[in-house]
Amino acid sequence: MRIFAGTRVLFQIALRNLIQARRRTGVLFLAVGTVTAMLVLLQAMSAGINDNMVTAATTLSAGEINVAGFYKVTPGSAAPIVTNAAAVRKIVEENTPGLDYTLERHRSWGKAVSETGTVQTGLTGIIPKQEDRFFHTLQLAKEKDYVEGGRDEVIGDPRQLSEPHTVVLFANQAKRLGVKVGDVITYKTETQVGRANTLDLKVVGVAKDLGLLSSFSCFTQKETVLELGQLDPDTTGAIWVYLKNIDDAPAVMAHLREVLTAHGYRLMDYNPNPFFFKFEDVQGEDWTGQKLDLTLWKDEVSFLSWVIIAFNTVTWFLTSILVAIITIGIMNAMWQSVRERTREIGTMRAVGLSRVQTLLLFMAEAVLLGLGSTVAGSGVGVVISLAVDAANIHVPIEAMASILLSDRIHLSVKPGTVVAAIGFLTTFTGLSALWPAIRAALLQPVKALAHVE
Amino acid sequence: MTPSEFLAFRSKMRTLSLGALTAMALGVAAMEPTTAFAAPSVADMTQMLQVVDDRQENNGDFKSLVYLEQKEAGKADLVYQVAVYRRDQDDKLVLLFLMPKEQAGQGYLRVDNNLFFYDPSVGKWERRTERERIGGTDSNRQDFDQSRLHEEYTPAFVAEEKLGNYTVNHLVLTALPNADVGYPVVHLWLDEATGNVLKRQDLAESGKLMRTSLYPKWEKAFSATKKADVYYAREIRIYDEIEKGNQTTIVIQSLDLSALDDSIFTKAWLESKSR
Repeated sequence: MRIFAGTRVLFQIALRNLIQARRRTGVLFLAVGTVTAMLVLLQAMSAGINDNMVTAATTLSAGEINVAGFYKVTPGSAAPIVTNAAAVRKIVEENTPGLDYTLERHRSWGKAVSETGTVQTGLTGIIPKQEDRFFHTLQLAKEKDYVEGGRDEVIGDPRQLSEPHTVVLFANQAKRLGVKVGDVITYKTETQVGRANTLDLKVVGVAKDLGLLSSFSCFTQKETVLELGQLDPDTTGAIWVYLKNIDDAPAVMAHLREVLTAHGYRLMDYNPNPFFFKFEDVQGEDWTGQKLDLTLWKDEVSFLSWVIIAFNTVTWFLTSILVAIITIGIMNAMWQSVRERTREIGTMRAVGLSRVQTLLLFMAEAVLLGLGSTVAGSGVGVVISLAVDAANIHVPIEAMASILLSDRIHLSVKPGTVVAAIGFLTTFTGLSALWPAIRAALLQPVKALAHVE
Repeated sequence: MTPSEFLAFRSKMRTLSLGALTAMALGVAAMEPTTAFAAPSVADMTQMLQVVDDRQENNGDFKSLVYLEQKEAGKADLVYQVAVYRRDQDDKLVLLFLMPKEQAGQGYLRVDNNLFFYDPSVGKWERRTERERIGGTDSNRQDFDQSRLHEEYTPAFVAEEKLGNYTVNHLVLTALPNADVGYPVVHLWLDEATGNVLKRQDLAESGKLMRTSLYPKWEKAFSATKKADVYYAREIRIYDEIEKGNQTTIVIQSLDLSALDDSIFTKAWLESKSR
């Protein structure tokens, strides 16, 4: 109880000291608060990119777990298909713990050609009536976003994908191809046995870009992909599995691998990369027939992980520099405080303040300063993040939009990271006062009382 | 050939065979069926294809120096010099890039119906599909390899036509179900007088025209092993019909039918060329 009361007194003294040295406290408060706000903002941006990636990836490129594979007619060929898809899907649905739902996506890889341009891209076949989430996530771009001098309105309807030989492109693709809604493009690819095939596809919608992912795929209906590849109707590109809890995906995938092996299916070794990275390896392997390939959602977008890693690296690099600067600033301020208050320290020591209490007093000042400024700074950071996110700001630079995986700035505030930022910076602020506090604690009362500035 | 000779040859190529090509281009426009002609039977047409194949086949080996140029709208021209080694009896083929310097040492090896690509900059072999675009051009392995039309396609007669000054038999070929070919339907215009292919059009499964190839110049060389002449198209011009404006030119600069060392048709030999 005495210790508690003593600590409370120490904090009261520390607080009064901070108030007394208003100017110095204000400068340090502002510095630490600004760094905290910046850290919270950068973390919100990183979390926003991560959110964009999860949304875009699990809508456009992958399920939370993907049951896909390759079929090889000859050792040198590699078609990204699953044969006898209905049977595989049934096994998956019956053996997935925590299953939410499954979808099928049909895959083709080729070249979209217009009169003025070409784009190498995947063509994903969907079953429109099963794709509510897809239509909800996919937002059409205004015509002016992909046509020079185009109208300031959204044209087209992606639900027309239910009609044969239609396609929904992304704005960057439409721009490169020089096409708009209603135009026809030619999609050039190979059939399952490697013979050339083409189809003319009418553009029924142009969607807003979703970063890099929107450079690698466009959408058509399932039957169009089957027709292009001359495939049996009971084939698919991948069975996408959605779980009630996405965090369970690695364990469920491991379970499904065992189940499918037990049912006699041949499985490829786990390779955490998107399917289109695997063509060369698969073509180089000496087997024919069907092999299944199971991946997680993040494997199918692993080529994007550098974005998050790079952004986090920059965040921590900047934060480290700023933390180093404020550490030096606080140390310097504490040194100054110790010097200015040497006689006061002598008096307190003379009336019974122990060395430990003296040390704690200075530490408490720094911690109080750190806590107050980081809480205030993080509050500012959170408000700015929420305001920027709500403003739905358009990213005018295409390369930047690719990195952010969206054409809008999205910031996502995670309470855990805000608390971590407060804890991290408060700890550093406190620790930066340690050495001056030790020096203050080691002062001899007599010498301190005799100290003259 | 030195790099400067290579560049000089490249510029010369742009005017070479202009006369023949113009005649063919005009011929395409003037193409019309001639009258009072009895359509050949399937056996006759298969025989025509066999003649095309047999004439180009050599019992022994085949080595040629090839100039390869790709023009693509909005992109810099790709120009290569490639050494082609063929052993028809074993269905073996080697393509070795000699120029430009950046691609020198790269190559393709076809053995046992597998096409492999070697890139010395990474020192790695990769299996490629039969439809690989050689060096990123519109040409593929079949343009350099032995002709197997009579084994891979079933012919049907379209008409006797005029192609420029040439009277030609226009055939349409449909790929056999198990034939490993890039194009399921091929239109072929065969010179009635010589039996040589003058023009070829490759179609996709959808029936869309993919590319048109013109063969303005055929030459022959005596093969001691075959004890007969071996025919070869000195020049092939391939026009991409989907990506209009893209064009590939293949010119055989020299041909040698003498026996080749067995070691050439191995991965080790191709690797050794870049050391």
